[in-house]
Amino acid sequence: MIQNYLILSVILFCIGILGVVSRRNVLIVFMSIELMLNAANLAFIAFSRFHESMDGHVLALMVMAVAAAEAALALAVVILLHKHKGKLDTDVFSLLKG
Amino acid sequence: MFAEWLFAAFSILAVLGGIGLVTFRHPMNSAMSLVVTMISLAGLYALLSAKLIFAIQLIVYAGAIMSLIIFIIMFLNVRTEDLPEEKGRFLYLFGGVVVLAPVFFFLKKIIQSIPATKATILGDGFGGIKEVGLVLFKDWLLPFEIVSILLLVALVGAVVLAGKRRMSK
Repeated sequence: MIQNYLILSVILFCIGILGVVSRRNVLIVFMSIELMLNAANLAFIAFSRFHESMDGHVLALMVMAVAAAEAALALAVVILLHKHKGKLDTDVFSLLKG
Repeated sequence: MFAEWLFAAFSILAVLGGIGLVTFRHPMNSAMSLVVTMISLAGLYALLSAKLIFAIQLIVYAGAIMSLIIFIIMFLNVRTEDLPEEKGRFLYLFGGVVVLAPVFFFLKKIIQSIPATKATILGDGFGGIKEVGLVLFKDWLLPFEIVSILLLVALVGAVVLAGKRRMSK
């Protein structure tokens, strides 16, 4: 029973990694990262259900707060770079180094 | 029995949404697929009797974060010719599948070595607001405060990023 949930979580995480490594669109890379965070949440909730302790729920809440903060900042950076360069390519982000 | 069918339906929807996310070309289609994934994950949380997380997944993820992303996609007015050229997209996807398949089977083997636990019957309040809140404010108070500092930093960072543009004008 718990195995099914964990395998689904691993599948979603692998799909997220695929999106990060194979796409060049910044927004899709960002959404793939959100998908990976969700997969981790699913594993937390599944373990929490089968161990009957609610610590996993608290951790899932923390992950959601971190995801919200990340969404606000990452989208602000995407908008600024799009204003400067007019592109959504991940190559534009090489401006950020140094 | 009914719960197994619901699990199958929600997991198939979630995986299809994820595949749509990584294969669609336009970010708007990808965002819509991600909304499908988020909502079916909320259904899975309800199946795991996490009531509070179910509500928060719908409100915060499917509601707030996804509408923020869709708002940004509409705000940037992305047209098809503006999108980065991704000629080798399916080739990269195939290569990624080849690289990730061993990782997946390794993790699957680990997961199957976890002793099988029967789904026990839970008490009434499992996953409710009151119970999760008690755990949060008793055992997890320090991480909670650290998260509040993180949100403050994100707020200040967003203001700094938004204000910079006005100064440079």
